[in-house]
Amino acid sequence: MEVDSQEQLQRKQSTYLSLDENFEIQKEVYRGQQYSQIYFARLHMMRTLLYSLVPNWKSHLPVCTVLELEEGKECIIVGTLYKHMKLKPCILDEYSKERSVAPLIKPHNFMHQDDYLVLEDESGRVKLGGTKLSPSVYVTGVVVALHGKETSAGAFFVEDVLEAGLPPQIERPLKSREDKYVVFVSGLSIGSSSSNPLQFQLLVDHITGHLGDEEEQGLAAEIVHLVIVGNSVEISHGLLNGQNLASKDQSRLSEPFKELDILLTQIAASLPLDIMPGSSDPANFALPQQPLNRCLFPGSATYNTFRSCTNPHCFELDSIRFLGTSGQNIDDLTKYSEAKDKLDFLERTLRWRHLAPTAPNTLGCYPFTDRDPFLIDSCPDVYFVGNQEKYETRLLKGLEGQLVRLICIPRFCETGVAVVLNMRNLECHALTFGTQISS
Amino acid sequence: MATTSKNMNVFYRQKKNGTTSTGKKSTKSPSPKHAATFGSEITQPPALVSHGGSLDLKDDFDEQEQVLRQFDMNMAYGPCMGITRLDRWERAQRTGLNPPKEIESLLKGGKVKLESLFDGRV
Repeated sequence: MEVDSQEQLQRKQSTYLSLDENFEIQKEVYRGQQYSQIYFARLHMMRTLLYSLVPNWKSHLPVCTVLELEEGKECIIVGTLYKHMKLKPCILDEYSKERSVAPLIKPHNFMHQDDYLVLEDESGRVKLGGTKLSPSVYVTGVVVALHGKETSAGAFFVEDVLEAGLPPQIERPLKSREDKYVVFVSGLSIGSSSSNPLQFQLLVDHITGHLGDEEEQGLAAEIVHLVIVGNSVEISHGLLNGQNLASKDQSRLSEPFKELDILLTQIAASLPLDIMPGSSDPANFALPQQPLNRCLFPGSATYNTFRSCTNPHCFELDSIRFLGTSGQNIDDLTKYSEAKDKLDFLERTLRWRHLAPTAPNTLGCYPFTDRDPFLIDSCPDVYFVGNQEKYETRLLKGLEGQLVRLICIPRFCETGVAVVLNMRNLECHALTFGTQISS
Repeated sequence: MATTSKNMNVFYRQKKNGTTSTGKKSTKSPSPKHAATFGSEITQPPALVSHGGSLDLKDDFDEQEQVLRQFDMNMAYGPCMGITRLDRWERAQRTGLNPPKEIESLLKGGKVKLESLFDGRV
């Protein structure tokens, strides 16, 4: 029996292609424009698409704009949905409502049974009636085609809905692949009281091959990429209240980054890594969040395996397309609509072909003038969202043969769970790290 | 403002100097209906102001400006505010809306206002 094997284990590699260019805003110039421009771009793109899909759906009906509606005439209209929500916090409430005991902002979900939907295009808007379109499913900003007719009350009675559906997917070459794994982790929250440094160190040690025997190391050698999906640091709010910091507090401000950098250096020395910003990271608030500055990572940024990426993040590994966000879009959908689970929200955003339909209504967004970067043109193979409560996954099959792996990545500081995806068959499993020391 | 003396400014709300450099409003405002009157100096009705010739109506009533205003108001190309006319034309061109080519030549060539009528006012 050999005690010391002479051969070294080589880590597998894969080709990486970044598709984040659409989400970068360095070239954008702010000229005082309002959000009407991004809504126009969204409506125009989606309407062109829906007009091409309508003949396959109901070819016998005329398509008209909202102002061209006539009472009793059955037709198809295309526009942006607006959901009027009674409980949605409005800045004007601070001035109009009496200061009662009830708080102005309610915490979790702003839905109410009196919510109703309105369809809007450039010519006008019309209130939607009927039971086919459920206000609890849809949110403001989704573009759909509706079949129905105008009632005598002036509303539009909806008989059927057409969503854009899953976008077309590029065919992957069907060569027999070997097992290659991608690890997703999110919500490290280094610097918060709930994060356990030992857990993340265990994860790092496992990925870099410092744990276990040769078989374990062989498994670790098949990990080709790590994606950190947002909320890597958490700075206590007491330090961020806008007042000048004493010098001892200043070091508290930078401690989480130093700790993160040490760990990321260990990872970057070993395999390629992508880090995305999240809601608690020092990046801009509005989507698309720009990459975290490399000066925050003096140690790890020197490696060419270290990549700071935008949120949302889109990339290809061995021509498998990955698309995902750090969770702000899904969290906003949770506040303004309801579904059985988070994977349903993910599926809906794909069917609506828009990553964040509630932007810019309730989700901060940059006012683009010429395009809407959140439109999904090509169906990803893996669609992930980070910073969720628990690990969930599903394989979604589309009508044209699209196959998408939907993944909800849980917060690592709370659950100790990272997600591992096998690129050969798009199968997913959880990697759990526990640090219970039993007595 | 050529007709008002300095101390008239005391009575009327001051307008910020140099809001835009394109000089979008002719100082001899031809008719109050078309002018956005921010505390405007309409102490003298235009008819009483002598111009020693024809009114300089070029900026507002030029034929080219009318064509451009029609382009601004056309809903098919989206909202006209917050975007320069040329950017809006190029966006329309890029997204396949086929805007008329003459607008592009007007904007790139002559001395026309590069921004829509509402720019800076709303």
